[in-house]
Amino acid sequence: MIGYVPGASALHRAHPYTPLAIATGLLLMAFAVSAPGAVWVVVAAAALFAASAGVLGTVLRPAAILALPTWVLLTILHGLLGGAPHVMLGPVAFSVPGGERALVFGGRLAAILLAFLTALATVSPARLVEAMTARGVPFGRVYLLVSTLTVVPRLRARVRQIVDAQQCRGLRLGGSPLARLRALGPLVVPLVLSALAEVDEQALALDVRGGTARGRRTALEPPEDSRADRAVRLAVLVAVVAAYAWKFLGAGG
Amino acid sequence: MSAAPGRGHAVRWEAVRFAYDGVEALRGVSLDVPAGTTLAILGPNGAGKTTLTRLLIGLLRPRAGRVSVGDWDVAAKRPDELAARVGYVFQHADQQLFERTVRRDVAFGPQRLGLGDGGVERALGELGLLGGAESHPYDLPAPARKLVALAGVLAMEPGVLVLDEPTAGLDRAGRDRVIAALRRRSVDGVTVVVVSHDLAFVAEVAERIVVLREGVVVADAPAGRLLGDAAALAPLGLEPPPAAAVGAALGLPGAPIRVEDCAAALGGVRWRGTGA
Amino acid sequence: MALDAATFAYPGARTPALLDVSLAIEAGTVTGVTGAVGAGTSTLLLVAGGFAPRLTGGALSGRRDIATNRIGIVFATPWTQLTGLATTVRAEVAFGPASLGRPRGSVLAACGAALRDLGVEHLADRDPASLSGGELQRVVVASVLAMEPELLVLDDPAAELDPAGADALYALLPELARRGTAVLVATPDSERLARTAERVLVMEGGRVTRDGPPAAVLDDTDVARIARAAGCPAPYPLDVAALVARVVR
Ligand SMILES: Nc1ncnc2c1ncn2[C@@H]1O[C@H](COP(=O)(O)OP(=O)(O)OP(=O)(O)O)[C@@H](O)[C@H]1O
Ligand SMILES: [Mg+2]
Repeated sequence: MIGYVPGASALHRAHPYTPLAIATGLLLMAFAVSAPGAVWVVVAAAALFAASAGVLGTVLRPAAILALPTWVLLTILHGLLGGAPHVMLGPVAFSVPGGERALVFGGRLAAILLAFLTALATVSPARLVEAMTARGVPFGRVYLLVSTLTVVPRLRARVRQIVDAQQCRGLRLGGSPLARLRALGPLVVPLVLSALAEVDEQALALDVRGGTARGRRTALEPPEDSRADRAVRLAVLVAVVAAYAWKFLGAGG
Repeated sequence: MSAAPGRGHAVRWEAVRFAYDGVEALRGVSLDVPAGTTLAILGPNGAGKTTLTRLLIGLLRPRAGRVSVGDWDVAAKRPDELAARVGYVFQHADQQLFERTVRRDVAFGPQRLGLGDGGVERALGELGLLGGAESHPYDLPAPARKLVALAGVLAMEPGVLVLDEPTAGLDRAGRDRVIAALRRRSVDGVTVVVVSHDLAFVAEVAERIVVLREGVVVADAPAGRLLGDAAALAPLGLEPPPAAAVGAALGLPGAPIRVEDCAAALGGVRWRGTGA
Repeated sequence: MALDAATFAYPGARTPALLDVSLAIEAGTVTGVTGAVGAGTSTLLLVAGGFAPRLTGGALSGRRDIATNRIGIVFATPWTQLTGLATTVRAEVAFGPASLGRPRGSVLAACGAALRDLGVEHLADRDPASLSGGELQRVVVASVLAMEPELLVLDDPAAELDPAGADALYALLPELARRGTAVLVATPDSERLARTAERVLVMEGGRVTRDGPPAAVLDDTDVARIARAAGCPAPYPLDVAALVARVVR
């Protein structure tokens, strides 16, 4: 699942900026380190992040689906084209430094995916709107961010609706993979059209409800930004600064 | 195999319960609708009418109890299999349209079921859609889209027609067309289940009425008897439709509930010249 | 709100959807609009509310004066009118007044009143995306009422409401008018229009062809159809009492 998954974990209850800050911190850490082992420590940290929110199971699948093709590509590319020394895997000469590079890039990708899918799963869009509104962020920007974050669940709902309608009129789904692929045909055009129509409708609906009104919105239930929240975000900041200081100064000095 | 007109199927709900997460929508509903009957389901918003009818096409599965269409247990069938017997028009019917032109959309179902084009043209004609058949469904006004969805289902010539608020938003002309189309199906022996808040419409088409409230059946009676009985309707939050009210006010013979019956019963009446 | 010789065409349309319409809507009144599907009633509402051509595109000619910027509109398709940004009905209804920057207390008060008026207080904590059709339509109407508009434009706002709910909503409109709102409501439901509106506009082919009190311009309630079919001379009675009064016994 890519999108919000209701839950009661500490991360779900935290200020919405906190999971976003942790995810951003993990992304920056993944680039701060360059040894394969260190990168995979960051991956482990991202997995821990997901597990602590109770969403590891839900984010693992989309993360794997998104990462796998790139991993395969990276392994082939770097393994076959990388420099010496090589190890022989059967008839194939596999580059050891190439393999390490593939591990680093693949690890970074995994860490980023896990971190942001977790943030998506734990930050309720409604609470994020309230949090940003309370900070005085203009509604246009809030809407842009939130509608981007919720695009997958919204598309899923549309697909569900169209598929229901088509099945009720005799369209057979499922069966062999080929049959499934063929069933995609009638789905794509209406999906695109209805997604476009939805953008218009949504704009109209928000306009009607004062979404384009100038002036500051009232935040009704701004999420509490507790001392713990701020401490966690500060810790993330310190860790990231330290890692980059180590990377540049440590390496240089 | 698809059911040809003239062969409706009985529809039956047996001790059916259904809950959305956290919301109990149906708390034990049993109904037996003989083949060829036109049944109207009434009831306040949130009563469970849509939920009850969606069970017929397999879009929802009961948590307990059994739903059957003819000799089919719905639990054993997918929606696309059920489509050969059950034609379903959604409450928000325009979410049901997905093709680029009205004609293509109406033809979608018959093509899947391997039927010819005859039903498509007939349905378009019946509902007055031939003029706009090449337009994009989304370029039509919302009420017209509802008629397109209905045409798409009529064209499949199902033995059971299930319509969720088919006249909401329609003008008189559109409503009259729906009434005529349903009466024709009824003559053909099709079983019709129609959910509606429009009692005047219900009076025109239904033989039997079921009122649902908070997930249970609170009334089940022949249409003629219930709609003419203001005292029975009042506790259900309903009033007799205009034809029945006129009939009751003037003590017309035959207790008409339909417009034309009421007008016929008024046949010999003399009128004061002006409204003043 | 006033229109003078207003003509409006949607982008790409060959013929205008609204043709040479002149009318004035006063605060404190309920005006009804009716007509066949495609006659231009929905377009009239969009133009009268200032939403066309601003949001729809297209071209408007003639004069339009709207004396307020507090305009509320409810379209005939409730399922397209959720903000998508609220997870509870309460937050959905509060969205409008909160957008206007009203203080928190007054937002919540307006929200509570609107939920009560539409009979959906019991749904306040539900997810607006999981409501039944009629529940959703009630919530959408409440969401617009909560903004306390001075010009309220409604396109068939009770199409999916149960009869009691529809009656209550139509009874609320004159009440809103008494509080100073100008109400413009379109619906094919001539029965309720005849009971509610002081004035009704009948549209055909984009033009307003009749304009006056319901009894003078409407002729297609079921009672009127019965009377006509039974040979009653025009003008036709619109409701049961009027019909009974016309029968010679
Ligand atoms: N997807 C859903 N998730 C949760 N609850 C739902 C969902 N859909 C419907 N409900 C609830 O189930 C109950 C029955 O809903 P249903 O749609 O069957 O009502 P209905 O009788 O068709 O009402 P209406 O006249 O408003 O269309 C209602 O309380 C409704 O809020
Ligand atoms: Mg319903």
